Order: sequence, then structure tokens, then C-alpha cells
Amino acid sequence: MFGFGDLGVWSAYAFTIFSVLICILYGILKWNETDEDTKETGK
Amino acid sequence: MSGLYLLIVVVVYFAITAFFGWLGYKQTNNAEDYLVAGRKQHPVVMALSYGSTFISTAAIIGFGGAAAVYGMGLMWLTGLNIFVGIFLAFVFFGKRTRKIGLNLNAHTFPELLGKRFDSKFIQTAAGLLIFIGMPIYAGSVLIGGSQFMSQYLGLDYGAALLIFTVITAVYVIFGGLKGVMYTDAFQGALMLVGMGLLLYFAYSAIGAGVTGAHQKLTDMGSLVPQAFKVQGHQGWTSMPVAGSKMWLEMITQLALGVGVGVLAQPQLIVRFMTVKSGREINRAVPIGGIFIFMMVGVAYTVGSLSNVYFLNNPEYKTISIEAAKMEAAKKEGKLYIPPAAPAETKPAAAPAAKITPAALPGAKQPPAAPQKSIKPRGAITDNIIPLFITKAMPAWFIPIFLVTLLAAAMSTLSSQFHTMGTAIGRDVYEQGLGGKGNTVLITRTGMTVSILISLFIAYSLPFFFDQGSAIIAIGTALFFGICATAFTPMYFSALFWKRATKQGAISGFIAGLSVCLFWLFFVQVKEAKPIGLCKLIFGVDSLAGNSNLQYLDQMIISLPVSIIVTIIVSLLTKAPAQEHIDKCFNGVEKA
Repeated sequence: MFGFGDLGVWSAYAFTIFSVLICILYGILKWNETDEDTKETGK
Repeated sequence: MSGLYLLIVVVVYFAITAFFGWLGYKQTNNAEDYLVAGRKQHPVVMALSYGSTFISTAAIIGFGGAAAVYGMGLMWLTGLNIFVGIFLAFVFFGKRTRKIGLNLNAHTFPELLGKRFDSKFIQTAAGLLIFIGMPIYAGSVLIGGSQFMSQYLGLDYGAALLIFTVITAVYVIFGGLKGVMYTDAFQGALMLVGMGLLLYFAYSAIGAGVTGAHQKLTDMGSLVPQAFKVQGHQGWTSMPVAGSKMWLEMITQLALGVGVGVLAQPQLIVRFMTVKSGREINRAVPIGGIFIFMMVGVAYTVGSLSNVYFLNNPEYKTISIEAAKMEAAKKEGKLYIPPAAPAETKPAAAPAAKITPAALPGAKQPPAAPQKSIKPRGAITDNIIPLFITKAMPAWFIPIFLVTLLAAAMSTLSSQFHTMGTAIGRDVYEQGLGGKGNTVLITRTGMTVSILISLFIAYSLPFFFDQGSAIIAIGTALFFGICATAFTPMYFSALFWKRATKQGAISGFIAGLSVCLFWLFFVQVKEAKPIGLCKLIFGVDSLAGNSNLQYLDQMIISLPVSIIVTIIVSLLTKAPAQEHIDKCFNGVEKA
């Protein structure tokens, strides 16, 4: 339990870390995804 | 801490900030550069700018201090801030905002709403609401930053306020959004370093590793003061009792109000319009997520853990809030004895009388005589993080952390100045009233007016309210709440619901705003009590009486009202022209 007193606080940390991981994973997976505006600039 | 070292660090910080402001000025050639940073910003700049605008000093000092009282349950707010304020905001709202904004050639958030619903009224009303509401929030941030400068640099409050305002105003007025975003990115990077070091030094100061430090805090559960226990406090690593006063405050006001309230912040939304494609927003998501984690997550963790540090510190031997009270008494030449010394800790026997309601977060402080020279004052919880920094951190780190906090305040403030200026200049005067002239000049004039109003509020408010930095919390809550209620349904339907009509959007806006203001002024005691209108008219602090309804965040009531009214009125009125909808949503599904 990482020293936490109850599941509520443990869940708060778990939810926070989950949220960060989702952000990281999304960014990596979509890193090179282009759309029509990306193409317009030619970059 | 050497005064010269502190001065050098502050001067270097201001010099680098000025350089980035100047860079923005040099690269600003037209209205698009000035209003939406040329729509070609780098994702790192965009993400850091978004994050540093999002996080002000209040989030670090105020909420960090609140965590020292409430405990680690506040981490729910961090999770919500990241999941809602970054992931959902960027992925689902950001890309559509950027694309629709580009399709409609919108330069501000009110302009986006106005053009999407083909309504000058919406643009003008949204611009006016920002112009009227945001100076209170900006004034609050100004008070926080100036009190902070005054306290640590030994300046008079008025002088600190003037320096702080002028430096920020110069780079905003001349540099436009490019100047704001470049300085934000620098300030955001500085904040990342400062908060990263703070986390490391906090665990080091406790000296028991990560899990060990948490365990020590858990073991302190029996030291929770009786006054907190009756409100539902069960220890700093446990959630408060479900449904208790503390639970309601933590979950509804903080988590929902600030966590969900970030979705419709005009100063944040405009950043989505500063990048050239959806790819940049994708790349900004991880940076934004990590940034918020390092700001809010670290503040809450360190704030909670400060209890362990102060208990083990021979100078205090008590919990954080008592240590802060001891320190405050010491400064006044008085002796304050905390209610329960650790050697004789018997929680049940701890004399609760020593803990006054004034010590609780958001509680009214005892009245004091009006002062001619304003000195830094504030809720006792706001002193916890600064005291912890002073006592537990290495001397060389203290000035670094001070500029970290300055950076947090300035990055938020600069964006507020820019948003207020564009609201009154671009949205109200130029677009709403049909004023003619140079857009940049009009916006600069609007900014100057807004800054002067904020400056007046920041200078005069502390004379009228003896609430210290409680004003900061109230001002922030007011603005976040108003934006969340008035703008969220309209913004959401603008991006996702093609059937939403102008009439529906306007009705939802007015209904939500009315309920929101009623709840803030007459029911939600945290705001209603210091505002005093309810007491003046009805003779009570809150119309909710003693029921727990007084702790319920206005958003829980007003947001559903606003959503329902928007939907019903939209369905009852004529659908928008297909041609207009096609123009708005051109390429959006692929974005």
C-alpha cells in the first residue's frame, strides 16, 4: 500500500499516475499522426 | 540565506523573462501574431505555457498548505487536473477548438463561440463576462505574488505590487501572445526544476524513503486535532469520512470545482489555437500531463509530508498547522504552545480549545484594525509551505524556489492580462460594438485598462477585507466557477453538437450564470460569508442554514441547469443553417 492509510488515498495516487501514463502513451502513439493542416505546411 | 544571492537570482530571473518578452515583441508582425501567437507554436512551448498558466502560486502555496491540513486525499484533484484538464481538454476539446477556430478565423475564445453560433451577442457577452470577472482573479494572483515579493525581498507591499505589475504588463502589452507564451515556457521549465528539487529534498529531509515517509505520516493519524476529527478527518493518508464537512469540501469544491472547472478557462482555451495542426496538440499531451503532475502532485505530497518533518523537528515537535501558528506567534513576540506535544500525545485528551476555527482552511480570520501600509497577511495554512521551505530545504535552494513561485504567479498573470485585453479590445469594442482601428492597438489599449483595474483591485482589496490570501482562494473560486458554469455547456455544444442553436447557447449561458451567482452569493458559505450580501439581506451567512448544503460547490447545481436549458431551448428552436455548420466543422472529424 506504499504506506498509505486507506484505499481512498492509494486510489487517488493510482488514478493520478494512470492519468499521467495515459497522457504519455497517447503522445507517443500519436506522435507522428498528421492531418490536413500538418500536410499544408509541408513539414 | 544571503540577501545578495537572493537578489542576484531574482535579477537574473527577471532579465531572462525580459529577454523572452522582447523576443515575442520582435517576432510579432500582425494581429494574428499578437492574438494567437501566429498559430505556429512549438508543442513544448504550447504545453509549458498551458501548464504554467494553469498553475499559479496559489496552487503551490495555498493548496500545498491545504494538503498539510486535509492530507493526501487531495491527490484526487491532481488526477482530475491531469485527466480532465490535460488529457480530455487536449485530445477531445483542443483539436476541435484549433480546427474550428481556424475554419472561422477566430482569434479569441469569445470570438470562437460568437462565430460558431453566429452571434455577436455571445461574443460580446462572453467578452464582457471575462472583462468583468477576470480582474478579480487577476487581482487575487497579483495580491499573492506581491505579498510574496514583499515578504521575501523586504519591499513595501505597494512597491512590490507596482514592480510585479509593471514587469508583467510590459512584456504582455508589447510582446502579445508570443511574448506571453515564450516567457511562460521559460517560467514553466523553471517551475519543473524547482518542484522536482522540492520533492527530492522533502523525502530526503524525512530520511525514510518514499514508503517509509508515507508510513510515518500514517502513524501520525492519532495526532489529528479534535477540531478536524469532528469534521471527518481520519489522518493525512486516509480519506475523510464520506459525507462529512471535510469530505464535501475536498470532493466537491476542490476536485470538481477546480478539476472540472479548468475545461472552460478562456486563457487556456486560446492556447489550442496557437499551434498549426493536431499533431502539435498530440505531442503536447505528455508534456502537459507530466507538468501538472510535477506541480500539483508535488505540492500536495510535500504539503502532507511536512507534518512528519515538523513533528520530528526538535524546534516544533508538532503538526504543520501548529508549527505555522508557533512561527506566527514568534514573529509577534508571543509564545504559542501547541495543544499536544508528541512526548505526551494522547489524542483523546488533546485540548481542542487551542485549535480555533480560524485555523481551518477558508475560515474567517479575526478582524483587525484597518492598516495604512499593507503587510503580508494570510490564512495560517498559507504559511506552512514557506516555513517548510525555510526550515527543511538547503539554503542555496531557497532563492531558487522563491523564483519558482514568482514564475508561477507571473505566468498565470501574463495570460490573464492578455485574455482580459483581447476580451475588451477585440471582442467587446472591435467585434461587438463595431469599433474601427488597428486591432493590435485596440487590444493593447484594452490590456492597459484591464491591468489598471486589476492593479486597483489588488491594491484596494486588502484594505477592505481582512481575509489575507483567503481573497486569493475566493477570487480564484469565483472565476473558475463562473467560467465552468457559463461557458462549459456552450463550449461543449459548440464543438460537439451541431444541432445546438444560438438561442439555446444564450439561454444556457444566462441560466447557468444566474444560478451560479445565486449559489455563490447566498448558499455556498465559503464565498457567501466573506461577500456578505446574504447576511445583509437575510441576516444569515447562508440560506442553507446549518445543513451540509452550504458546503456544496455551486457547479453541482448550476452546471446541470445550464446544460438542461441549453439542450431544451436548442431542441425547441430552429436548427442552424447546414452551410454554416459545414463551414464550422470542415475537416474537424479528421482533426
